[in-house]
Amino acid sequence: MKPKKWIQKGLQFITTMFILSILVFYMGRLAPGDPLRAYYGDGLQRMSTEKQEQARNRLGLEEPIYHQYMIWIEKAIEGDFGKSFKYKEDVTEVISDVYMNTLILGGTGFILTFGFALLLGIYCIFHENGLADRVLCKIGTVTSSIPPFWISLLLIFVFSVSLRILPSSGAYKIGQKTNLFSRAQHLILPLSVLILSHLWYFAYIVRNKLSEEIRQEYVRISKSKGLSKRKIVYGHCIRNIMPTYVSMMAISISHILGGTYVIETVFSYPGLGLLSFESAKYHDYNMLMVLTLITGAVVVISNMLAQGINKKLDPRLRDDRGEITWF
Amino acid sequence: MVLKAEQFQIIGAECKKHPNNCVSHAKHCSKQKKDMPYKSMIVLGILLISCLMAEIIMTHDPKFMDLANTNIAPNKEFYFGTDAMGRDLFSMIWYGGRISLFIGIFATLISTSIGVIYGTISAFACRKLDDFLMRFTEIILSIPSILLILFLQGIIGQATPISIAIVIGITRWIPIAKIVRSEVKQLKNMDYVLASKIAGGSFFHILKKHLLPNFMPSIMFMVVTDIGTAIGIESTLSFLGLGLPLDVISWGSMLSLAKEAVLSNHWWVMAIPGMFLVITLICMTHIGHHIQNINNKRCSHL
Repeated sequence: MKPKKWIQKGLQFITTMFILSILVFYMGRLAPGDPLRAYYGDGLQRMSTEKQEQARNRLGLEEPIYHQYMIWIEKAIEGDFGKSFKYKEDVTEVISDVYMNTLILGGTGFILTFGFALLLGIYCIFHENGLADRVLCKIGTVTSSIPPFWISLLLIFVFSVSLRILPSSGAYKIGQKTNLFSRAQHLILPLSVLILSHLWYFAYIVRNKLSEEIRQEYVRISKSKGLSKRKIVYGHCIRNIMPTYVSMMAISISHILGGTYVIETVFSYPGLGLLSFESAKYHDYNMLMVLTLITGAVVVISNMLAQGINKKLDPRLRDDRGEITWF
Repeated sequence: MVLKAEQFQIIGAECKKHPNNCVSHAKHCSKQKKDMPYKSMIVLGILLISCLMAEIIMTHDPKFMDLANTNIAPNKEFYFGTDAMGRDLFSMIWYGGRISLFIGIFATLISTSIGVIYGTISAFACRKLDDFLMRFTEIILSIPSILLILFLQGIIGQATPISIAIVIGITRWIPIAKIVRSEVKQLKNMDYVLASKIAGGSFFHILKKHLLPNFMPSIMFMVVTDIGTAIGIESTLSFLGLGLPLDVISWGSMLSLAKEAVLSNHWWVMAIPGMFLVITLICMTHIGHHIQNINNKRCSHL
């Protein structure tokens, strides 16, 4: 890419983040609920009205919203994202404690889901409308329609309550942060839920895309030329659906992150998801801002990466605006 | 001279008209078309009717907290057992099903209307406005929808079935809008749209008479699966304690006691509402997939 393009992309990124931060800031501030409650917890009831006023002034909650935003963004540019009302620590510090956990869960889940989805989709298309395809379609429909939280409950019931072989919450045993075995043990259940609930959705899209692809004329020609099934699918069809698959991977990052967040909450797995639920529940503005911005940045960057990769994969997109569509 | 259908002749080999052209695949082609999702439709129909007739089926008052009979396993008196507050699960299922199904349908109605209108406007707009509208959807998509729902629920305040349906509806229209946009972009250059415009047809007239019937098949499967998704989201929210309060009975709010119940081995509190929820969702997905497959009936060349 030329430097001019890089600058353009960078500007695009900054504008998006800017708009996103304004949106989240306003939405958070307009929501009812008292951030003081997050700060002082139950101690709030014992405080006099006067003291509450003072606290509000000190935290800058009394000023008009746009003014609060100006102050926030000035500090944010210097790298100070404010304090979490709930944890009374710098937001960045609270997040730096747990972000690795989410990265491990979400990242592993993401790679495994998309790897398996592609393989499963290809397998189904080789046996289109055969027994294996139909059975897989049925199983897939079932697993992908069950809400993740319910699969989690089911697995907790089977493996933690009945069989007592896997832990039901946390990311590691207390005090064993570096113990890999303990971490893996705690990762199995959330990870399987994440994969189970997303796998078929993507495998089905691959299957459908491929099933459209094998109805194209070029497949008939390759077939009459004498190419084997494998050669046609791996050599031609896959290459044609890859751009769609890559942009789908980019779009679904927010989807999978959302799923990770719910799963983290069910398993009390300390990560960004648990934090965001807590901060939305207790109106911990500073925390919520940073979490949403991180999520947004990941998604926007991955969208841009996908556009770049797609242009490499599909020459037809190079001159055009590489537009990302859902299907 | 009046032309009749018989006077036309099919040129080229469309396999569904000429089964002889692809003998080996003809079986699959015809099979896919006929195979209606009867099972799912019947199951959904039974569920829907039972929920509407909840008053007749119920054996106990679903809201009555019988504190003498808490956490009772399924037996002859309480067919599905009771929860931690002593409410009869069997009665709650039918009574709560109404609210769950209502939320699903109402939310989808909202998301579909927003999606269709937004998508059409975007397709008809000039390139700059179109770009802006699409960028806007990308920004919204970059927030995980569950976070967005949380925000909006906070703004609306105390959750009621209607407020939850609205919140779910206004966070789920983007995929529909995107499909509608790309469909309308192809349709809008058709002569009949132009003719209607020249004849003075308004935006909504063209949308209703000329565009909607054309792109409806391609969004129909999303609409059906969305009903299921909306029901699922409601239950997820209620389960996390952010949706309907415990005293408004829905399948979701019945599940909000599930984690504690599971950890203390009361499996039925989790399993029974969940089974109903899951069966409904599976049927919806199944019907949705079927509608999607109708559009894809040609034969494989492989």
